[in-house]
Amino acid sequence: MDRLTEGRTAAPAGIVVDRSDGAGDNVLARGREAPLEQSVPDRTDSVAVSVRGLVRRFGARTALAGVDLTIRPGDIHALLGPNGAGKTTLIRILSGLVDADDGEVAMSGAVGLVPSGDRTFYLRISGLENLIFFARLNGLRLRVARSRGLELLEQVGLAEAGRLAVGRYSHGMQKRLSVARALLVEPTVLLVDEATHDLDPEGAQRIRALVRDLAGRGAAVLWTTQRIEEIRDFADAVTFLRRGEVRFTGSVDELIARAPSRRFVIGVRNGRPDRPPSLRSLQGVLGSVATVDASPGGGDQFVLAPARDGALGTAIAALAEAGFEVTACRQEQAEIEEAFMALMTEETP
Amino acid sequence: MSAFAELAKLPAFMRRDLRIALSYRMGAATGLLAILGQAVVLSFLGKLVNPAQLPMYGGTRITYMEFVSIGIVFNMVVLLLLDQVATAIRTEQMAGTLEALLATPTAVSTIQAGSAAFELLYAPIRMIVFLVFIGLLFGLNLHPGGALPAVSVLIVFLPFLWGLGLLSAGAILTFRRGTGAVTIGAMLLGLASGAFFPLALFPPWLAEISKFNPLAITITALRETLIGGTGWASIASDVAELAPLSLLALAAGAAVFRLALKRERRLGTLGLY
Repeated sequence: MDRLTEGRTAAPAGIVVDRSDGAGDNVLARGREAPLEQSVPDRTDSVAVSVRGLVRRFGARTALAGVDLTIRPGDIHALLGPNGAGKTTLIRILSGLVDADDGEVAMSGAVGLVPSGDRTFYLRISGLENLIFFARLNGLRLRVARSRGLELLEQVGLAEAGRLAVGRYSHGMQKRLSVARALLVEPTVLLVDEATHDLDPEGAQRIRALVRDLAGRGAAVLWTTQRIEEIRDFADAVTFLRRGEVRFTGSVDELIARAPSRRFVIGVRNGRPDRPPSLRSLQGVLGSVATVDASPGGGDQFVLAPARDGALGTAIAALAEAGFEVTACRQEQAEIEEAFMALMTEETP
Repeated sequence: MSAFAELAKLPAFMRRDLRIALSYRMGAATGLLAILGQAVVLSFLGKLVNPAQLPMYGGTRITYMEFVSIGIVFNMVVLLLLDQVATAIRTEQMAGTLEALLATPTAVSTIQAGSAAFELLYAPIRMIVFLVFIGLLFGLNLHPGGALPAVSVLIVFLPFLWGLGLLSAGAILTFRRGTGAVTIGAMLLGLASGAFFPLALFPPWLAEISKFNPLAITITALRETLIGGTGWASIASDVAELAPLSLLALAAGAAVFRLALKRERRLGTLGLY
């Protein structure tokens, strides 16, 4: 049975995989035969993944309501959103597991997938045998599959466990094996669905380093995560989904800028260089106007959180009146989590 | 991807399933013991059967043990294969590996065929081993010259079994349950196959219908070649009867399986169990 005609008829969504780079076949070409010629979206060579107006409904529920997404080669694009936002549905459509109801997707080259589930391997056989099996399904010959499997086991830190049955692996080890499987064919597009949620910090860091390396070699990465803070210094771009709609797309800095912090870092002196003001004395002056906390910078730096909008001036005036000298005041940078929460509560335009 | 490239993936499935089979060390041994146990029971029951009531093959009268040995071994192979073909995709669903498989550039039909390929090869080997065992234990008079004609009949019969398996696979994919229905269906076909007793014992109308049962046709052909020693001469009519039934079953099975798969993709529930 030919893959291009198997099991599907004309899907409304046009999904196109450009195989001109010779990187091999791709699951996304399977079965979406009708739209192949009619719906090639506009894209340039600098776009690895192009999603336009993607819609998917499950009965009365709309999982994706016209999602647009662009990922350039070499970029790690984080996909954030609360549970049920449509992140996994988007990944599943991109990886060819679910048909879209409408919209267009274009991707180039081989696609690697790190699924979110834990049980995605054959538990009775070894990690190496699992990798060999999946490598051969990706078209690698046995000898190449074996050497590639060994190489990737080494890279994800499973060299010693490679010959153990996967049933004896921890969740974290299975997740690392899952990443190794996704890298078997040196994908040009890597789809990662919560790769680090059950990993220890060292394991998570190792996975991020591997993915960063892959992106450095030109792969486009779509990275969904609930560990929001990990995208700082890792992701090049972020898309925030809520109820199937894109609520934000931009850089991590732009995301953070969406949530101006209500906390301020202030410098306070009391005229005694050898002994900076104590937290207790400052809080005693501020009362219920603001709360004050120690700053990670220490010394005469404090973090001030006004109790309400406009209370910053009242707080500084109170400190000055009590004899303290306020030497500096700047808004603290928001955490990504605060930006996430701000987008969560933002009304739909 | 070309059909050749898809075919080249089948050994990967066979290697995987061989490794998994080897990890269950008792599996093959218990299978052998079960069939030997069945053979022992039937050997005693066979003493009650008057050989005159049994059909003749190649002009020679046979014992009940010779009659039934082909039947029980063939029946076992049919049940094993049918179950394997019918539940290949379901097994991957249950194991959680289906989505990982579908994320590779592999056709679902390859996954389905690949998941049954090992059993397809292994079951006939087991069938021969079991027959040899039973033959040695109970002194069966099998004709080695009938082996190739017998294999030829089996090859023509396999698409029928595959089609039946695909029909069941489509139903299982849609309803998630239903392996019981597969087993009951296979049992009914087995009952009306003449595996354990001559079809002549059925009421005449049922015996007449059962003659068109592909299992009955195959078993009769196997007995003629392996026990009666009739060789190639006797299988032509059997193959002529079997071939259209096999093609019909395969076409119907493939159509139902495609429909079920299409529905699952549309609903987005292919990976769910």
